[in-house]
Amino acid sequence: MNIIELRGVRKQYHAKTALGGIDMYVRRGECITLFGPNGAGKTTLLKIISGIMSPTEGRLLYNDKPYSESDIKKDAFYLGHRTSLYTALTVMENMDFIRRLFSLNHRRQVEDILRGHGLWERRNDPVNELSQGMKRRLALAKGFIMSPEIFILDEPFTGLDHRWRSAILAKINDIKKQGKSVLISTHLVEEGHRLADRVAFLHRGRFLFIRDREEVDTAEIYGLFDSMGELAG
Amino acid sequence: MKFMGSAIAILRKDILLELRGKESLSLMLFLSLLLLVIFNFALDTGKENVSSLAPGILWVVFTFSGILGMGRTSMAERDEDAYLSIVFSPASAESFYIGKVLSNLLFLVIMEMFTLLFFAILYDFEKIIGMLPQLLPGLLLGTLGFSLVGTLFSFLTTASRYGEVLLPFLYLPVVVPIILGGVSSMDIILNGKAGGAGKWIQIMAVFDVLYFAVSLLLFRYIIEE
Repeated sequence: MNIIELRGVRKQYHAKTALGGIDMYVRRGECITLFGPNGAGKTTLLKIISGIMSPTEGRLLYNDKPYSESDIKKDAFYLGHRTSLYTALTVMENMDFIRRLFSLNHRRQVEDILRGHGLWERRNDPVNELSQGMKRRLALAKGFIMSPEIFILDEPFTGLDHRWRSAILAKINDIKKQGKSVLISTHLVEEGHRLADRVAFLHRGRFLFIRDREEVDTAEIYGLFDSMGELAG
Repeated sequence: MKFMGSAIAILRKDILLELRGKESLSLMLFLSLLLLVIFNFALDTGKENVSSLAPGILWVVFTFSGILGMGRTSMAERDEDAYLSIVFSPASAESFYIGKVLSNLLFLVIMEMFTLLFFAILYDFEKIIGMLPQLLPGLLLGTLGFSLVGTLFSFLTTASRYGEVLLPFLYLPVVVPIILGGVSSMDIILNGKAGGAGKWIQIMAVFDVLYFAVSLLLFRYIIEE
């Protein structure tokens, strides 16, 4: 069953076409990795899917019904380039705020999530005193309290060292095992490929391909990045 | 219940943010003190004049300190796109709006109480503190109107690069009826003028209802795009 479907989605910024007629679907419980050079339209696409941005044209379906932005927002977790954290608050205060918004009483669960993301020791520190990688981990940790149906992650590995990349990869795999859908954009070819059930490559607002992982090897993705003069991770 | 629960969570978070960052209330208090000092030097505020000047001075201070404070509470949401935590939660846009109105209202009321106290001391006009019970309805309705409109416009303008410059230009024309009502009702009460403050209080109440209804409808669209 498709959780999300896009039909002929276009996005125009004045004269510039950011997305030119995107058709795609996301099945329940699958992970799609979006590759593409900077400016290809990955962030725009993820913002449209998450309901933050409206398309100029096209149809979106959520659970086979016409899209309501407020519906998807209640069921999705979106991690963009910014962390969506209150930087003056401590780690625990940020998590507590989310817990209250979701009317959850499981303080123990918050502790487990923070431990799992290596942030328990820093729980009383203000977010603005954390490293970039820690902020990113905390931003992702929030998604685990929310327990949404779909995780939309725009460059989730930015600022993470090798050890934490592996840890986050394992966590995203756990999400998949729980039957949640995941949409990721990344420049990290190996990690993105390993996670994906399907791989997509976006260029100038259009898909060059969207195929099952087995049909695409990493050399092809590296080759595409090379041909576009971009460094892939 | 859930609706108010989310609004209270947002209020609680804003109080914590203020305690940690001191970016809104402390700036408002500093600006109000600064403006009172400037007016004290610029105007002839002798015993015989202070009573007639007080309403104008105080509402100018409330207005501009309020703009500064409400702009800051919205900026805290825009920094790092923190407001998306609320958008991607079961909290509705309406409870988000109510939560922000409550926190702005709280900070504005605290600022106004301090301003009145500073005013009484600086201008040697203790009478205003004694008359607080009579002044309170006008003050509260005016402050509520400020918060209802300010929450909407500050969130709208902080999305723009010129947000803090734009805010007064959008906000001030809309709250003119509130400022007019606030100044007039205070003037009538402080100076015992004929006409009664009740008429102005009623006008402010009607505008508050209008602001509330329109802002509640529009806030959803502001956070969606």
